[in-house]
Amino acid sequence: MTGKEKVLAVLNKEKIDSIPWLPFAGVHAGKLKGYTAREVSTDAEKLIKSLREVNKLYKPDGQPVMFDLQIEAEILGCDLVWSEDAPPTVASHPLSESTDIPDTIPAATDGRIPLSIEAMKAMKAEFGDTTALYGLITGPFTLSSHLRGTNIFMDMIMNPDYVKDLLSYCVKVAKAVSGYYIEAGMDVIAVVDPLISQISPDHFEEFMAVPFAEVFDFIRSSGAKSSFFVCGNATANIAPMCKTNPDSISVDENVDLAAAKKVTDEHNIVIGGNIPLTSVMLFGTQQDNMKNTVDLIDSVDNTDLLIIAPGCDMPYDIPVENTIGVQQAVHQTEQIREMVKNYEGSEIEFEGELPDYANLEKPFIEVFTLDSITCAACTYMKASAVDIKEHFGDKVDMVEYKYTEPQNIARCKVMEVKQLPSIYINGKLKYSSIIPNRSEFIAEVEKCL
Amino acid sequence: MADFEKISELMQKGKADEVKQLCADALEEGVNPKDVLDKALLAAMNIVGEKFKNNEVFVPEVLIAARAMNFGLEVLKPAMVDDDIEEIGKVVIGTVKGDLHDIGKNLVKIMFEGKGLTVIDLGADVSADKFVEAAVNEGANIIACSALLTTTMTQMESVVKAAEDAGIRDKVTIMVGGAPVTEKFCDSIGADIYTADAATASEKALEACSK
Repeated sequence: MTGKEKVLAVLNKEKIDSIPWLPFAGVHAGKLKGYTAREVSTDAEKLIKSLREVNKLYKPDGQPVMFDLQIEAEILGCDLVWSEDAPPTVASHPLSESTDIPDTIPAATDGRIPLSIEAMKAMKAEFGDTTALYGLITGPFTLSSHLRGTNIFMDMIMNPDYVKDLLSYCVKVAKAVSGYYIEAGMDVIAVVDPLISQISPDHFEEFMAVPFAEVFDFIRSSGAKSSFFVCGNATANIAPMCKTNPDSISVDENVDLAAAKKVTDEHNIVIGGNIPLTSVMLFGTQQDNMKNTVDLIDSVDNTDLLIIAPGCDMPYDIPVENTIGVQQAVHQTEQIREMVKNYEGSEIEFEGELPDYANLEKPFIEVFTLDSITCAACTYMKASAVDIKEHFGDKVDMVEYKYTEPQNIARCKVMEVKQLPSIYINGKLKYSSIIPNRSEFIAEVEKCL
Repeated sequence: MADFEKISELMQKGKADEVKQLCADALEEGVNPKDVLDKALLAAMNIVGEKFKNNEVFVPEVLIAARAMNFGLEVLKPAMVDDDIEEIGKVVIGTVKGDLHDIGKNLVKIMFEGKGLTVIDLGADVSADKFVEAAVNEGANIIACSALLTTTMTQMESVVKAAEDAGIRDKVTIMVGGAPVTEKFCDSIGADIYTADAATASEKALEACSK
């Protein structure tokens, strides 16, 4: 099955043997190609190059094209503050002092929608057969708060009719933008509404049930699948969210995935989540990420109707190898379970002997991989080393150590290898996770000849 | 006789005008304003905070209760003599530089005020120097920093450093919080207190001020 077939099968509520993997690489995609968050948020060419790299290194079954909840707000008059390592932030709220209801509906040519559509079309052409593509729109409640500011919360109690009118308007915007993205080839529209976690189930029923159901009906009738993304502790709202009838729900680490899955299972809705973004993906090691993912998969009653994804939009600076570790743990769960066990088992002693790196006869290239057959990033890393070996022939030595072997794990420990895949030359770390280009790799080896 | 319970219940429901009226009635009856504050308004905010922590009430309910509390305070404060106003502690609060998210910060501020602490709100996008400058000028016991972004939470370390550079580190407690922040992160940057929710933050703040 292709990744796309896996995602769509799960969203069609079919039982399949594997769990789809959905890395939320928003601005983080830029890191893979050395572009800033601002560059990939404003430059289609750089965005597309970055998304291509995400597809190559992270082997996603499904992939978002942009993870930016400011696109609609910017068009509708919110000022944005830009950052080089995070998505832009809304800095002003045009309705903060007024209870007018706007009537402008963003056109496909407005603001950064054309950029988004261009990237969607390019991704569709290149990966449309193999990867389920996600178009993300701003949910009606979060868009309302962008427009109105935090007054929206008090309005829910003091001026409920106004909130309902504003939400109705934001539903029109959501439907229009969903329509553009579906036309651009998106398989799934994710309605991203982080603020839903900040209101009670009663308020959800009163204000959100109808608007969200309308958006999901629209997406379904337009021929695409849907997802309801929320951030924060949305535990109390999982059941009400299910009742709006999205095909899937995605939650972050503030929600107990196993407990939430019991609720979504009752409603026959897919749940996605929830590798912790900061403590694990940003600050953890590759081992932490693999272990956390295996533990997460083990925590749920069953793996039907399940997608594994980061909790939310991935921070720009997440180490690439951490995401690779998660990907491997989703796609090769049993193998990674063994690796984690072997790594944690302190009884494995390294039985071999490290080379005398200071006195080697010729340059020695060592490739450390999770598994160069199943891990895409490892495959490319190994291939680049094989290519260099062919280039230099007998003038260099090259070897691959796969992490699938306990002795290789022990070797990694002794050599203090922290990231996989990595390339070491003469015992020193030269490249990790990001595949080196041929000319710089050759130059690096020539220095050692 | 003033019914503190009733004022508290109305405040929890956000009935601002009624709270204001009952506070005025209480003063008319000769009730000590400090008693109304402690036994009705702050007691009510304690209950709201606890319910918020337990996911029984959410952001709208907290904000509306805080509004009602402020309506009551408007009446009580002018009637309070100096002896009634004991300074329990002073907090300088803000969202760190580069971060404009202030919902969480505002909730913490409300909970702090609910404990009777004096809060100086510096708003959002506050530089480390500004935090420290305000703490020095105000003689604050606590600097409380909020961040929603993983990219801005690192600014909290700059606040710790700025406090050290200004020579006030041992006089001020630095509290950190926000979605991406963890206990481990708090320890790693040398801040003093992290809590996962606003109500617990206010309890810890009170403890820190009474030390």
